[in-house]
Amino acid sequence: MNEGLYFEGMSLLDFARGPAFRWAVAIFIIGIVWRLTALLLVSPKRLEPVKGSATSGGVRTMLTRSAPAHELEKNIIFQHYSGYAWHISMFIVLLFFAPHMMFFKQILGFGWPTLPNLFITFFAVVTMGILLVLLARRLMNPVLRQISTMDDYVSWIIAFLPFLTGIMSFTHITFGMQYETVLALHILSICLLLVWFPFGKLMHALFIWPSRYKVGAAFARRGVRA
Amino acid sequence: MSSLAGIGVKIESGGGIEPELRGNALPLLHEIRHALARLVEEGEPTVLDIQSLPMGPGDLTRLMDALGEGEVKAELNCLGKTLIREARYSGVWIIEHFDGAGAIASRFIEINWVPPLLQAQAEDVQKGLMELADALAPAGN
Amino acid sequence: MAASKTVGDVLRANGVSRRGFMKFCAATASMMALPPTMVSAVAAAIENARRPSVIWLPFQECTGCLESLTRSHTPTVEGLIFDAISLDFNHTLMAASGQRAEDALDAAVQENWGNYLMLVDGSIPTGEFADYSCTNGHSHLDMLKKYAAGAAAIVTIGTCAAYGGIGRANPNPTQAVGVQDIIKDKPIINVPGCPPIPTVITGVLAHYLTFGTIPELDHHGRPMAFFGQNIHDRCYRRPFYERGLFAKTFDDEGARKGHCLYQLGCKGPVTYNACATLKWNNGVSWPVQSGHGCIGCSEPNFWDKGSFYRPLSAAYYGDARTVGISVAAGAAAGLAAAALARGKQKKAQQEEKA
Repeated sequence: MNEGLYFEGMSLLDFARGPAFRWAVAIFIIGIVWRLTALLLVSPKRLEPVKGSATSGGVRTMLTRSAPAHELEKNIIFQHYSGYAWHISMFIVLLFFAPHMMFFKQILGFGWPTLPNLFITFFAVVTMGILLVLLARRLMNPVLRQISTMDDYVSWIIAFLPFLTGIMSFTHITFGMQYETVLALHILSICLLLVWFPFGKLMHALFIWPSRYKVGAAFARRGVRA
Repeated sequence: MSSLAGIGVKIESGGGIEPELRGNALPLLHEIRHALARLVEEGEPTVLDIQSLPMGPGDLTRLMDALGEGEVKAELNCLGKTLIREARYSGVWIIEHFDGAGAIASRFIEINWVPPLLQAQAEDVQKGLMELADALAPAGN
Repeated sequence: MAASKTVGDVLRANGVSRRGFMKFCAATASMMALPPTMVSAVAAAIENARRPSVIWLPFQECTGCLESLTRSHTPTVEGLIFDAISLDFNHTLMAASGQRAEDALDAAVQENWGNYLMLVDGSIPTGEFADYSCTNGHSHLDMLKKYAAGAAAIVTIGTCAAYGGIGRANPNPTQAVGVQDIIKDKPIINVPGCPPIPTVITGVLAHYLTFGTIPELDHHGRPMAFFGQNIHDRCYRRPFYERGLFAKTFDDEGARKGHCLYQLGCKGPVTYNACATLKWNNGVSWPVQSGHGCIGCSEPNFWDKGSFYRPLSAAYYGDARTVGISVAAGAAAGLAAAALARGKQKKAQQEEKA
């Protein structure tokens, strides 16, 4: 089998699905394990007396942070729920499109039922729309503009590209490029995502859980709700 | 080389296919309707090449069943057999070309007053005239 | 080898009436994927077309492509096109053999130098293996170069001649390549497929015969008329794909109902050919209709693209070893970073105490 290896006459698509993807996954795993290990091991020694259960406080905070804090609600409600809409749409497209499901089935060994393509197209358009609206907001809102860093914009681009190339491939709207080239770009955009993931803002996907836990646990030790 | 039709085939599952998912019989019938309208209003004939369209199993049968049989049936014998028959809708002709071994070579649906292929061709008439003249000559006519 | 007769003359000499000729033109136009409105233009062109000389050179091939073509029973429209275009040399089909066949080839080539159509099937071994595939002592590499020099155009029949095919598949033990990797200065029409649909082969020849030109080609040198659309876009099972109805094994409920074969490895979305519309065996069926996914046989290197039964989107993420090494590397980096950070923390705490 030639996947992951170089062979003569390899096309961009073969490269994207083969060596590029293999290396991207390797870097992804290295990065994830590195950052998680570092995060989990770097905890300052707690010197204060224990006033409450740290673990239950930690677990509690992991769940309560899913809703906006009461005091801040009015200000961040738009952002909070568009975040939910985006993540749900994104997961629907990622997990319930038949070719994507086959992709994961190869890795995990099991599959699951999928949705008709009409739904997937709808949610993909919703996802891209929300991303564009949020980018516009980030650029126009003075506060957001000031606190935005390079990481924010790069992460936005890296999250947007898979959807753009995916929609282009699916609908065959390729602006003169060949279908196979656009498909290769779709896979390469995923490789880019995998490589960037551990080192940028996208890592929030994995960090939120240990992060919320630690904050909750630390506060719970002191007898305070976080 | 014997025809493929001689190979025995047993169909096991006949009823499982959802017919409404096959597209092509119905749209083709509409296209024929439009062509017939064009023939009546503008006198313009139309020819549809059926072999080149993606047809699922059963599509062709559905189309032919819908078109049915009319008053005219002609069998031509040039370069293999050709069958021309009028559908139940006058003006719609089904032309099926077969090759020397009886397998289908091409299929057309022609919407016309009469398909040109049925008419005698000028060249052939000339040739026929010469042959008839030659055949009659020895008798001193 | 009278190449000065027109095709119209040849057909009349074969006893074909005008009506027969019109039937022939209608079928030929259909074969060339031209609309029926063009039949009269085709008739006029064929009537007066010069009968070109054609030689067919088989190289490192399985003869499947020639079989595909000759399975079309004679006398047929296809058979007539073939005869009408005066096949001057094909060592499998012609009656002569041995040196007499060689002489016939050389005579045809000499008489029509610069004007003959050269059909090739089979890949060409190169390098130190060039001599492993030869006819009458001449290596096929040499034959290709020699006869291509006087050809008006080259038509490669089958994936082997077009791109190297199975001969070229990993590890390519004979260093085989396709014609376009050797000949760079002649127009080449690739008609790939393993084998190609016979109607496609004759359609391409009919085009050359009728118009005397090369048809419009895609980026892989294939005629757009037959290879311009991918299988997925013309497949009658596409509605099932859109609705998410798939066959998961070869004999489950989905397979019996004729659902989409994507999950069983169909390569339709990235394969360009006419199978979905023209079908095989004179329009009887084609792989997907018979329940097996497309294997992508008209694409370069299709033998090396992974299993025919592996879905197109399945991951190539590497193996357990790569994953294991990555995890270890990551853990090491993480521990190092944590140790560094802890060291800094300790220092800060000590400084604070002091």
